[in-house]
This record gives sequence, structure tokens and C-alpha cells, in this order.
Amino acid sequence: MLKYIVKRLFISIFVLLGVSIIIYTMVRLMPTNYVDIKYSSQLQSGAINQEDIDRFKELYGIGDNSFKGIVTGYVKWLGNLCKGDLGNSFKYTKPVADVISENMWISFAIAVIATILQFLIAIPLGISSATHQYSIRDYTVTVFTMIGISLPTYFFAAIVIKIFSVNLGWFPSNGLIYASKDYADTFIGGLTKFGDIARHLVLPISVSVILSIGGLMRYTRTNTLEVLNADYIRTARAKGLSEKKVIYKHAFRNTMIPLATLLAGILPSLFGGMMITEQVFGIDGIGRLAYQALREGDIPFVMGYNMFLAVLTVIGTLFSDIMYSIVDPRVKLGK
Amino acid sequence: MAKENTKKNSNYISIKESRKILKYNIQQMKYYEKLKQQKRDESEYITRMKDPNNIIEIENLKTCFFTDNGTVMSVNGVSFSIPKNKIVGVVGESGCGKSVTSLSIMQLVQAPQGQIIGGEIRFNDEKLGYFEDGSKKAYDITKMPTKEIHKIRGEDITMIFQEPMTSLNPVFTIGNQLDEVSFIHNKDMSKEEVKKHSIEMLTKVGISMPEHVYESYPHELSGGMRQRVMIAMALAGSPKLIIADEPTTALDVTIQAQILELLKDLQKQVGCSIMLITHDLGVIAEMADEVVVMYAGRVIEKGTVQEIFHNPLHPYTIGLQKSKPLITSNSNEPLYSIPGQVPSLINLPDHCYFKNRCIKCTEKCSGKYPKLVQVTDTHYVSCYLYEKKGGKLSG
Repeated sequence: MLKYIVKRLFISIFVLLGVSIIIYTMVRLMPTNYVDIKYSSQLQSGAINQEDIDRFKELYGIGDNSFKGIVTGYVKWLGNLCKGDLGNSFKYTKPVADVISENMWISFAIAVIATILQFLIAIPLGISSATHQYSIRDYTVTVFTMIGISLPTYFFAAIVIKIFSVNLGWFPSNGLIYASKDYADTFIGGLTKFGDIARHLVLPISVSVILSIGGLMRYTRTNTLEVLNADYIRTARAKGLSEKKVIYKHAFRNTMIPLATLLAGILPSLFGGMMITEQVFGIDGIGRLAYQALREGDIPFVMGYNMFLAVLTVIGTLFSDIMYSIVDPRVKLGK
Repeated sequence: MAKENTKKNSNYISIKESRKILKYNIQQMKYYEKLKQQKRDESEYITRMKDPNNIIEIENLKTCFFTDNGTVMSVNGVSFSIPKNKIVGVVGESGCGKSVTSLSIMQLVQAPQGQIIGGEIRFNDEKLGYFEDGSKKAYDITKMPTKEIHKIRGEDITMIFQEPMTSLNPVFTIGNQLDEVSFIHNKDMSKEEVKKHSIEMLTKVGISMPEHVYESYPHELSGGMRQRVMIAMALAGSPKLIIADEPTTALDVTIQAQILELLKDLQKQVGCSIMLITHDLGVIAEMADEVVVMYAGRVIEKGTVQEIFHNPLHPYTIGLQKSKPLITSNSNEPLYSIPGQVPSLINLPDHCYFKNRCIKCTEKCSGKYPKLVQVTDTHYVSCYLYEKKGGKLSG
């Protein structure tokens, strides 16, 4: 087992190398760049001239967009990475690693709560709609989750904001804390701040949970249906086991096997933030930062963020393979 | 020609009809599902045995499946009984209702599509006493609510399935799955006792190294071994009746013989009855005391094994016998096969279902479905050929 994990990690170095080459090339080939965007107005008003711009580009290391220039840029980036330096973000003028670690946790908090809720709601719903196939319950759950799958985040989020924030005024629509409020540096002040943050997070978390339940629920439903028709379930019933035990012992363990695949995607989604949701609700999570960095051509940050996701994905895949061998005794890792 | 055109094409269902079927199905399924969940007084599902020497009596059993194409009568008025300490073979081709009959006995028909809609299955449970007039009390399985049937399943009536490769749960060890049976039915047994009992069962079915197998997962065992484990599982309760649903179909021939031998030995040791479902007439000849021949959801002939083999009466049984390869037969001659196909079990007309394939078909056969005619004390056949002649016919 340990040997397998070490081997997989060794292989992932090459995977990550490949990923970084692709991302770097693509980011460099973007039609705009940071300097052009930042100084375009000054260039037009004549405050600076084209020469200055070229000099800035050289300074930022994005002057030469030929093949050779991209290669040297990449090698330089990789060299810094080997020294443990992800570079400085153009936009946030801070080391990329700091920007990520500072803003990651709020996204992580949202994602953890959303993921837990999502599993807690979707799996029981999926199982119960499979055991009551074609009943009213099944149809109702299916219709609602399908609506959830089909709605785009920005649209649904806008509706939610309109109803619960603008019309009813139950929850705030933007940011994490009330900008007008002063939070005292005492315990009580901390508590009110925490309460306010929680209040601000209700809408974004609900939106992301409602939109993501559908897929998982359908997945569970299909798996459960397939497992319930299996021969060993009939055997379990023939033994005289109660229906509850048949479903929650014999069927559930087998339903979990394909669900282990989903774990591969969970790790990056936990830490990676939700670009659109964070953008709509104005939360300064890592997803929103990445979105803005991408728009402005902040190459070091985009590279750092994407490599961060790539590492998480590789680890997530390894994790789900290990989980497979735990839930399914037929799967043996090794060699 | 004109007649043929007006004849309804059974493969085509219009949208209107399809909707009607769907509506009917939902209504029926709801009705029968509700019936099963209802709490019932014991008196409602306790009946009396006709013959206390039988372990099970099936009378006019009707099981059907509500499908999108219409109601499939898989089992259509089946009646037979299984005496204590006997092996009863049930033969017939695929789709004739053998397995559905056996699943009906366990109330394991795939719900909600499959439902028992009529008839009685009387199970002679020793624990139930006698009525005041001396007749034996019995459970009527068709009327038992699902909660009650759990007491019988796996304890008094157990089942061996045809697919040992898929009938064991892949994610639990053999020991875990075997122990479960003992745990359900003997709640006061300790863990060590249960394990001892399970290992004893594994030894009983001829598994060497039972401790090792106890710890194994199903995928680590061969097909024959898994079938032995299934048999051990069937024995782990204290079965009065074991239903073996084609126990050897998925196994290779040498293992088949071993498994059948084992079943026969165990039946004598434990003293239970076996309902052996198969389409292998050789297996029946070897194992069974009595034989029930089924066709299209009905019993068409039943009798002792000698009667069925030496004096088959129904043209279908005769055809079955002929289509069996013999080591003495001329290898250049093609093997006999009964012409035609089993009719679709949806909306069957009321005449002999074998009519269109029968070589001895007469005009009379277009009439009502023939009743079971008693030929000898034990031999019954459902065919017009024997209606008036009584038992005087020679094979």
C-alpha cells in the first residue's frame, strides 16, 4: 500500500509538469496582458508612451511572446517554483502563496458546509427515491433536483438575492460583514462578527447546495436501483433480513462503491472556491480572486491557483483510488 | 387475408391503450402493495392443511407482473403439494413460471411489478398447533403481511439460487453473511456460538478449511465453492423446505454432480423437503421423488418420477423426453425439438396453451382450458386426450 502511494506520487510529478506546461502556454497566449490592460487609459491620454509600456512588459517578464520567450518564461517560473517561490502576483502585489493562503479559508468554510449538507441531503433522498421508485415522492424529488441541475448559478443566485435579500430583507446579499458596522475587539464583538458572517453565508451556501444536490441525488438513485435489483439483495431478503437491514447494510455498501469516484473531485472543490457564486455574492474567496486575476492577465496568480488545483486533483484521485480499495474488497492496490 | 388484417397485432400498442395499461398497473400495484403492508390479525392468514403430511400445499396460485405491455400471468392457477421429506422436481422451459412459483412461496417476487393476485400457499409450520377439530394449522403465505413473512424466510423455508457468482454480496465476508442468518433467527446466541455454528455448516457442505473460507470474500472462491456456501446458508436456519432454483445451471458438469449429491445427502440428514427447479430432466430422474411439469404458467402434468419418465402422457412432456440427448442415440440424427415457441403470457386465450405446438392436437383443443385429469392415484395430466379414457391408456 505504502509502496503504491509513493509510486503514484512519483508519477504525479510528471502529470503536474505536463499540466503546468499547458496552463503556462495558454495563459501566455491570451490576447491581452496585464500591462496593456492596466496602462491603456494612460497610454491614450498620453501620460506614458509605447516605449514605457514595452519596458514595463519587460519588467513583468511578459515582453517576448514568441515561442522562445514563452519557453524562457516557463523555465524561469519553474526554476522559482523549485526554490519554493510561486512568484509575486501582479494584481495583488503580494507573493502568490500568501494571497492563496489568506483567502482560501473562507472559500473552504463555505465549501465544507455546502459539501456536508449536499451529501446529507442528496444521499438519503437518492436512496429513498430509489426504494420508492415511480412513487409520488420519487417524481417530486426528481423534478426539484432536475430544476436544480438545470438552473445556472448566476441566474438562480440573482433570483435568490431578489427574493430573500431585496424583497424580504431576511439576509444580506453582499460581502461577509456589514461595512457600516464597527466590531469591538472583545469576545462579544467577535461573536457578533461571527454571527454576521454566518448570516451572510446563508444565501451563498444554500444556492450552491441546491444546485449541486441534483447530480449527486440522481447518481445515488441510479446506483441504488441497480444494486437493489442484484441477486445478492434477493439472497439477503431470502435470509429473512428486514427491509431496513437489506437496504442499509447490503445495498448501501455497494451503492457507496461508485460514489467513491466522486471523492476525486471533492478535494479541489473544497479548496478551490466557487468562482461564480463568490463573484455574485461579492465574497472575497479564492474563486473570486482567481476570476479577477484571470480577467486582468495576472500570470503568476493564475499559474499558482491552477497548479494548486492540479495538485489537489492529483491527490484527490489518489485518495479516491485508496477509498475504492477500502469499500470494495475486490479491488487490490499494489504493483 | 382480410381476417388476418383485422386480427390485432399483439406487438403494437397504441398510445391510448398504453395509457390505459399504465393507469391500470399503478392502481393494481398500489392495491396489492397496500395489502402487504397492512397489519393483519393472525386469524386472517392461518388456514388448515388438507393433508398434514405435506410441508407445503399450493392451490390455484396466481402470480402476475404488471408490465408496460400488459399484465403477464406468469403463474396461472398452479396447484401442487410437497410432502414432508421428499424431493419434488419442477421442470419446464425458460419462462414457464417455475422460478416465479418458488419466489411466490418466499414472497420474493420482484415488487411492485410482480404480485400474487390469488390462490393459497399453505405452509405447514410445526410450531402452529392443531385446530379443535384435529386438522393441522398452517400459514397462508399469500395473505401474510411482509413483516410476518420474515419469521419464515431463511428459517423454515430457505432458498438456493441459480447464480452462485452473483448471489453473494461481494463486499462482505462469507462469515459475515453466514452469521447473519443465525443472528436473525436465534437472537440469544453469542458471537462465538454463531461463528461455531457457521463453521459447522461450512464443514457440513464439504468445504475443507472452513476457517479460511469463513474469512474469505466471495470473489476469492470458485463457483462450486460459492454454491456450497449458498447451501450452507440455506441450512443455517432449521429449514423444513429448501427451494433449490436451478442450483447447478451455472456450474460445470463435474461440480453439478457433486452439488446434487450433496443436496441429496443433506436432505436425508436434516430431514427436510426440497423443491428442485431445473430444466435438466437428467437431474430430475436422479434426484426427485415427484415431478411437476409446467408450461406457460400452468401445471400440465404431475406424478411420481417413475410415472413421468416411463409413462409421460401430455404431448409436451413426451416432447421434452424426446428432446433429451441419449448416449445411445444416433449421432447423425438431429436432436428432436418441439416446434414453435412458448406463447406470450399477456392476454392468453382460454384454450390449451400448447395447442399451436402440439402434434396430437384435436378439434376439442380449441375449447376451454383442459382440467387436470387424474390418471392414477398420483398421476395427473391436463389434456383432452385423456379426458374420458381414465387411467386405461398405455404410454
